[in-house]
Amino acid sequence: MIDEPLEELAALHALGLLEGEELASFPTKMGRDPELARLVDELREAGAQLAYTAHSPSPPRELKERLLEKVDTALRFRAEQHQPRKLAAPAWLPWIVAAVLAVGGAWTGQLYLVSRSESAMLRDQKILAEYELTSARNQLRAERLVIHHEVATATDQAGAVQRKLEAAEAQAGQAGLQLTAAQKLIAARDLQLAMANDRSAALEAQAKHDADLANFQIVTLGSLLGSSPQALGIAVWNPARQEGILKVEKLPALAADQDYQLWLSDPHAPAPVDGGVFSIDPETGGARIIFKTDKPIRSIARFAVSVEKKGGAPAAEGLMVLQSK
Amino acid sequence: MKTDQTFDAAAAQAERAHTDADLLQRIARDDREAFAELYDRLARALYATALRIVADATEAEDIVQDVFLSLWEKASDFDPGRGTAFAWALTLTRDRAVARVRGRPRRAEAPARATAEEAGLKSGAGPDSALRLLGKEHAGALRAAVASLPPEQREAVELAFFSGLAQPEIAARLGETPETARARIRLGLLKLREALGGRHD
Repeated sequence: MIDEPLEELAALHALGLLEGEELASFPTKMGRDPELARLVDELREAGAQLAYTAHSPSPPRELKERLLEKVDTALRFRAEQHQPRKLAAPAWLPWIVAAVLAVGGAWTGQLYLVSRSESAMLRDQKILAEYELTSARNQLRAERLVIHHEVATATDQAGAVQRKLEAAEAQAGQAGLQLTAAQKLIAARDLQLAMANDRSAALEAQAKHDADLANFQIVTLGSLLGSSPQALGIAVWNPARQEGILKVEKLPALAADQDYQLWLSDPHAPAPVDGGVFSIDPETGGARIIFKTDKPIRSIARFAVSVEKKGGAPAAEGLMVLQSK
Repeated sequence: MKTDQTFDAAAAQAERAHTDADLLQRIARDDREAFAELYDRLARALYATALRIVADATEAEDIVQDVFLSLWEKASDFDPGRGTAFAWALTLTRDRAVARVRGRPRRAEAPARATAEEAGLKSGAGPDSALRLLGKEHAGALRAAVASLPPEQREAVELAFFSGLAQPEIAARLGETPETARARIRLGLLKLREALGGRHD
């Protein structure tokens, strides 16, 4: 009968988990108790079945090929070792062998002494080499520990940096979104501003236009001719632009060396200002001209049209045919 | 009480063990083909175990190569009266893998183990396990046996088998006292043996 503590040791031994004193004493117990040894074997068998449950890829195919190559090499080596070597022995061979043995014995004796010395030296070298190997291993182990520590530290630092980087990237992403939104807002505001400016300009133009219209001076020019009492003219003056339009009708035709000339009477000017010459349609006696003055006009008291020589005169000299009131 | 399935599984397991033992006897007589066949039968489970323990494919490959060369050289040492060829090969594999893990610097253990878990090298009789190498009855019985263990015993046994950790570390990993950890390993392994058709008193 195996009690529980012994069963426990058997289970641990089956899985290779015994250590120290327990490991040292357990084989003796197994040797004395075949039932205990059998239990260990059975538990080892049961535990071994777990290997089939481990998830795993298949071992590399090359592994089998490599193993078979090694087996082939071992088989060839064994075959060579076991090949019989048959040589014909001549009759004088024993004498030769005896002579060789005699000489060889002396030589071997000397060789033995040399070999002993060399063996001792080799042993010393081996001990020294083992010592150096142990030192190297210890140093390597120490270096591994240091490197592992450094790697762990560096990994921690890298992790912290990575986390900061991710946080910064997140903030940058957020800021980018905000920037995009702000840019859209600015673009919308710019558009609104441009539209407002356009509206303002339009309103300003309209206002200016309205102001111009209000300031326009419109007068009728009546006939001074007894022969053409139906002749008339209408003048419109835009003081802001210093230009105007004159439309005349039913004026009598002139001689080829004559032109009609428009005069503008500015109270602030010493003499009527020249508004330009014009000719009429001979059939209707009408004309429509846009006129400007060479001198600035502050206000117009009167419009007049006279008959002048061809090309006009610097001052009104000819017959006045139309005049405003 | 053993079920029919358990009997079938035990029979399949015995037949498999017999075949493995025959192959080892042939290997002892330098039979190359027997060696190749034994490799096909055992390599995946041995590699899975080594990989699970060392969590490094290159190291696992080295270990399996070393084990099979030992089997080739020492096949004549195999004693069928002490257990199956599979258990023998697996013991060689685990011993080598555990030695490598325990030879590592302490700090290197945590990432190595994390890598193994991340790589999905957990046990659980899934489709990627070596179970498909077994016969239907044997695989079914093994699944059922593992599933029949109480979770805390199953965790203790798997940790003891696959982790390469020593007793105190296993207890720490389980969050239990060493005594509790030892008891769970004992109970789990006994139950597994019983479920797989071994002796039960």
